[in-house]
Amino acid sequence: MNNFIVFFFSSLFLQIFSSIFLIVFRNNKKASQVFHFILLIGLVSGLTSVLSSILSETPILFPTDFPIPLEYFRFDSLAFYFLFLIQLAGIPITIFSYSYFNHEIKEKKSVKSTLFFYAGLLVFTQLVVVVNQAVVFLVFWELMSLFAYLGMIFEKEKKEVEIGSFYYFVMSHVVVFALAFFFFLLHRHTGSWFLSDFHMNSDSDTLVPFLYLLSIIGFGMKAGFIPFHFWLPKAHPIAPTVFSAFLSAVIIKTGIYGLLRTFQFARPVSEWMGWIVLFIGIISAVFGIWYAIVQKDIKKILAYSSVENIGIIGIGIGLGLIGSACQSFPIQVIGFGGALLHTLNHSLFKSLLFMGSGILYHNFHTRDINQMGGAIHRKTYFAVFFLIGSLAITGIPFLNGFISEFLIYNGFFQAAKELKNHYPLMMLLSAVALAFAGGLAVACFTKIYSIVFLGSQRTEIKKFYFSFFDAFSLGILALLMLVIGVYPIPLIQFVSQVLGDGFVKGNPLPILSNLNWLSISLIFFALLAVFVILFLLKKIIYKKYGQRTAPAWGCGYEKQTPRMQYTASSFSDELSEIPDSVLGYQKIEKSSNFPYSDKSFSTHSSDFVEEKLLRPLFKKIQAFSLRFQFFKTSDLRTYLLAILLMVIFYSLAGFLWDS
Amino acid sequence: MILVLSPLFSGIVNKQKNFFTGRIGAPVLQPYYELFKLFKKETLHAKTASFISRITPLVHFTAILSAAAVLPVGFSAPLISFEGDIILFAYLLSLSRFFQILAAMDIGSSFEGMGASREASFAVFVEPIFFFTLGSIAFITGLTSISSIYDSIVLNNISYLVFIFVCSISFFILAVTECSRMPVDDPNTHLELTMIHEVMILDNSGFDLFLYHYSSSIKLFIFVILETSFFGSLGGGNRVLEIGIFILIVFFLSTALAFVETVTARFKMKNIPQYLLFATAIGVLNLLIFTFTQ
Repeated sequence: MNNFIVFFFSSLFLQIFSSIFLIVFRNNKKASQVFHFILLIGLVSGLTSVLSSILSETPILFPTDFPIPLEYFRFDSLAFYFLFLIQLAGIPITIFSYSYFNHEIKEKKSVKSTLFFYAGLLVFTQLVVVVNQAVVFLVFWELMSLFAYLGMIFEKEKKEVEIGSFYYFVMSHVVVFALAFFFFLLHRHTGSWFLSDFHMNSDSDTLVPFLYLLSIIGFGMKAGFIPFHFWLPKAHPIAPTVFSAFLSAVIIKTGIYGLLRTFQFARPVSEWMGWIVLFIGIISAVFGIWYAIVQKDIKKILAYSSVENIGIIGIGIGLGLIGSACQSFPIQVIGFGGALLHTLNHSLFKSLLFMGSGILYHNFHTRDINQMGGAIHRKTYFAVFFLIGSLAITGIPFLNGFISEFLIYNGFFQAAKELKNHYPLMMLLSAVALAFAGGLAVACFTKIYSIVFLGSQRTEIKKFYFSFFDAFSLGILALLMLVIGVYPIPLIQFVSQVLGDGFVKGNPLPILSNLNWLSISLIFFALLAVFVILFLLKKIIYKKYGQRTAPAWGCGYEKQTPRMQYTASSFSDELSEIPDSVLGYQKIEKSSNFPYSDKSFSTHSSDFVEEKLLRPLFKKIQAFSLRFQFFKTSDLRTYLLAILLMVIFYSLAGFLWDS
Repeated sequence: MILVLSPLFSGIVNKQKNFFTGRIGAPVLQPYYELFKLFKKETLHAKTASFISRITPLVHFTAILSAAAVLPVGFSAPLISFEGDIILFAYLLSLSRFFQILAAMDIGSSFEGMGASREASFAVFVEPIFFFTLGSIAFITGLTSISSIYDSIVLNNISYLVFIFVCSISFFILAVTECSRMPVDDPNTHLELTMIHEVMILDNSGFDLFLYHYSSSIKLFIFVILETSFFGSLGGGNRVLEIGIFILIVFFLSTALAFVETVTARFKMKNIPQYLLFATAIGVLNLLIFTFTQ
């Protein structure tokens, strides 16, 4: 069956082809309609081809007479998994994108170029995960980053957009630099440019740590591990929501893809690399979510929460690496399996939450959650979907987040059981850190949800926009999360298929399916039954003993106003104060004497890595470069001389190197 | 059984507390009367409330109940038990907490907001303690089901005895925090500023409040069970002896709780994280003992 190849590439072609209609139709609205429709068809057909190929389990044959050089592509299970992820998240985001950009069209903004960038981003992200040649990989990677950057500067007239996108731009270049180095090293060692040929031989002990270091810098920066997370909270808020959703759901996952590929290239790993990844993961998980709690900007909160989730994925990868170093099959399977599962799960709930933030932005015209409130009374469906997303991201049982966290906890238990000595202690500490992050996540997402949706409105809005397409895209995701949470077995099988193909030797399925997924489903249905019985009981009791609505109890105080509600900052005050030096948490209070009312109170927080590491570093670099200012003359001849000297130097160096 | 017995425990604690303060106090069965009274009352909903605060009492109750179902009750096996249920147990408690915080914020009153904020902050420290206590055995033995963890405890081993002692302190602190007991929370004051759990359910009444009260007494009982199950093996298979031991320990615990509530005043809210960190520190100690003795 070589249908897949044809099918897949034509679906990609359809996706990029859709942008033609942006030129064909002059009318913005019509162009966007046709564009999204074609794009969606492309995505759905891509997903169908991937799914049917996964299910049929027949090897993919490459057709000989194909216009695209197919030896540059590889379709192994890992590539399929990530393709599946991209398309699964891409479909709802595309549906949402239609209604999102409709708002912008109404405001007479030109959206055509941004839509084209979105299509390009989608296509190149899919190509990145299937490509098999290092240089082509780098080119596609760069194109992906570039399209994301171009989409990000949609509102380029704003100052914050300029700053945020610049952070992203610099980050992606550092990443490409590290990756280029990474691949050159691999090429030098193996003499091949193909990813499938990258295997270590016995004399590569010194190279492996180096590769991991580069991979953690390059791919880890894209993924957003602390301390490389600084670009996330800058770039996510300023991008159009479609792009921030795609960034968080998919693009940062390409970093995870890279880390997993690194594991396939560079083996055997030594144990300390696993510990480093585990440690970075824990730090990212705990501090990512702690930073999230302090923020007031909804997209910033979500961006920091991405750091947390990437941290959880990192914990899984770290466990897998430790398992690989200790040659334990189950630990590897559970660790990498947890990481893979959480990658997919996170892309589902995070795209839902980001799309929710876009809907809120269009209605409240601000990203500050302190200005929102009471949205639950406007659109119940929206509130329900967002609730499911928040529950899932905190890892509450019977939604998909719990499944992956359950797996990772089991990995800790497994590692403690198999490797005695100091391992139980370390694993317990890691589990406690994860539980701690879980507790913080509960605080964080109850905060968002209650400030945005509950209580009464803080600012008046006339009409709450929540279109059918919004509902549809959020609904698909919410349903998927529930299905995975209650019946995870098909996904578990898929994950074990991925693990069996290039990660571990042996069949990982028995280990993964030995965990009690079925009892989780059964408990869910038991609970549902209890809930329904109670619900009916409640109805009967209401009928019998009465029920009515009354004003909220104000402790004798009559004039409650929405401004008196708990705000985001007051809700998280106690948690923000504990590590205030790390979070840069400050309260700024201005007071004046009684009759004058120019009092103000505000809270402020900053990022430790940015304030304490990056800024001083760049200040130093700047100061250092300023020393060479004496070169800066108005004389052109000086520059020419410098260029000439440089050319001579390089030629001499090349000449000497060769001989 | 948990369903029936749990209010009794609160009743016993209250009675003993009254005894310590030199009053006669309400009858031991008073919590039952109160629950019954609430059951028959009309239910009020705040105007600003949404469906969240309507379903929360149900979700809360269901979650707590199912968490209780995972536990062995000293002399009988748990209703549900499978490998990894320790994680489910912890996360079911956090499900109940998530909804309770939301329901409190749902009203939009600053009183409830205060309670919700406190609950969210203190809960962060509660989960690690749980992992440091029961979780530490899970990590040592590799057993991940609560009932098998309890089965693995042998009482004639000195390190287990120390462990039980340390765990008991941690559980005590957990129980006090989670179930709005005295040094952390004071449900009996009439000042909303000083409360955590009680202030969160300020706007509930009737059947909803019945569910809240019922589930909080179950929650307290969960911690009692966590403690008593340590000594489950003392009975040595003899059902009567096991039940006897169970009752004895329950009585001992209620006395301890009542005694502490009588002699201590409520902490400053700012100090509560330190109090919880103390429990965490003990947990670490616990772990070190295990690592070095085994």
